[in-house]
Amino acid sequence: MRDKNLVLFVALVSVLLGPSTLIAQNGSAGAPPAKPYTTPKTPWGEPDLQGTFSNRTITPFERPANVSGREFFTPEEVAAMEKAAASRNGDEGRNKGTRGDVERAYNDFWWDRGTKVTTLRTSMVVDPPDGKVPPLTEEARKRQADEAKRPAFRGAGANGRGTDSWLDRSTFERCITRGLPSAMSPTAYNNNYRITQSPGFVAIQIEMLGGTRVIPTDGRQHVSSSIRQWMGNSTGRWEGDTLVVETTNFTDKILYRGAAENLQLVERIKRVGPDEIEYRVTITDPTTFTRPWTLVIPYVNTGEDMFEYACHEGNYGMEGILSGAREEERKAAEAKKGSPQ
Amino acid sequence: MGIKRYGVLLGALLLASGAALGAHHSFAAEFDANQPIQLRGTIAKVEWINPHTWIHLDVKKPDGSTERWMIEGGTPNTLLRRGLTKASLPEGTEILVDGYKAKNGTNRANGRDLTLTDGRKLFMGSSGTGAPRDGKDASEK
Repeated sequence: MRDKNLVLFVALVSVLLGPSTLIAQNGSAGAPPAKPYTTPKTPWGEPDLQGTFSNRTITPFERPANVSGREFFTPEEVAAMEKAAASRNGDEGRNKGTRGDVERAYNDFWWDRGTKVTTLRTSMVVDPPDGKVPPLTEEARKRQADEAKRPAFRGAGANGRGTDSWLDRSTFERCITRGLPSAMSPTAYNNNYRITQSPGFVAIQIEMLGGTRVIPTDGRQHVSSSIRQWMGNSTGRWEGDTLVVETTNFTDKILYRGAAENLQLVERIKRVGPDEIEYRVTITDPTTFTRPWTLVIPYVNTGEDMFEYACHEGNYGMEGILSGAREEERKAAEAKKGSPQ
Repeated sequence: MGIKRYGVLLGALLLASGAALGAHHSFAAEFDANQPIQLRGTIAKVEWINPHTWIHLDVKKPDGSTERWMIEGGTPNTLLRRGLTKASLPEGTEILVDGYKAKNGTNRANGRDLTLTDGRKLFMGSSGTGAPRDGKDASEK
């Protein structure tokens, strides 16, 4: 797209999408920023990132095939996507059959995926430039084949590898964590975060599954590599107005797209306007991915409260899944006994 | 861009977003798609808890006795943001539930749709928030 067209394109889309998107595009789409944004400072002089934010968006994680080669959607595409998302939000889903009905868990009232793109990008993956997660290494593919032999399922999504034990269910279903960077990425609901700061520390409270990341910015080093944690060990520093967080020391008990204990993250978190933070994370694991890759996710100010999660307190789902499987086994055994030999 | 291309784009996006992506746990493992169920009863209590709300329902059986059922709903945080609170479903409210029975054979089901006796449907999201009309929403006036 030529520069002149690009300016027109951004102007058009800004009218369609409102001010937050305009802010999001400053500097990234090539449009001249109206006025350089100045990040406010805390009383002790550090950049102030504090507030409550949501990262819900309908922006695809990877770039869809039909927009390959394009970094940004057109205004027409955005309008169509948002219209579809808004109507999906009221979708009763009556025509999906009973299996589809159960698998999607509820009708759409219960979900909070959002109905807007918060960036014009065609994917959250911004590097590699094709907007796709790089292929897995040979080693990682071999590991995948051995996953079933592990004592516990290492997946972090809404599924499991079986129903023999709670250890066959995901870390998400076990109320442990979605891990990183999943816990910083949008999902179907509870996409809310609260950032608070004190001198030398930034805390990020995560609504989904609960938990707070406490990130020191006082120059300390990572803990010993023998200490392994579900959320790794994070150290932060300020580069200008950007909070740079490096996270290592992950445990081998949880996977992020095939990566576990060798995962290394560099997050770059900065304000791009009064109501928006740009969250950028570079994911590196030479034993899993053929190259490092980067996600960009806008966090938009909500001004809403955060609610506690207390996942174990009401996790009837786990009991329901395991006892449901036992009941099905009992019925199957009974049917076998009753059938003629 | 033609209509056809939109279709492809939207299809790709739906695939990318994944209909069941992100729910806290597998509903397919907990509930039985082959056992749709409809229940009419009065609310005994609402457990306003994460990861999911549970509505306890007293269901009158044909012989006159009552049976307690538990209905799994959405995450309270999302419901609150949609304008639905614990007070929206007070004890004694009569509701009709369409859902699916739990695989474990107990009196549990998921809450596909909840309908009040005056025909208002909750949790359908067809317009507005879908929350009960309690006068708090400007669009009700």
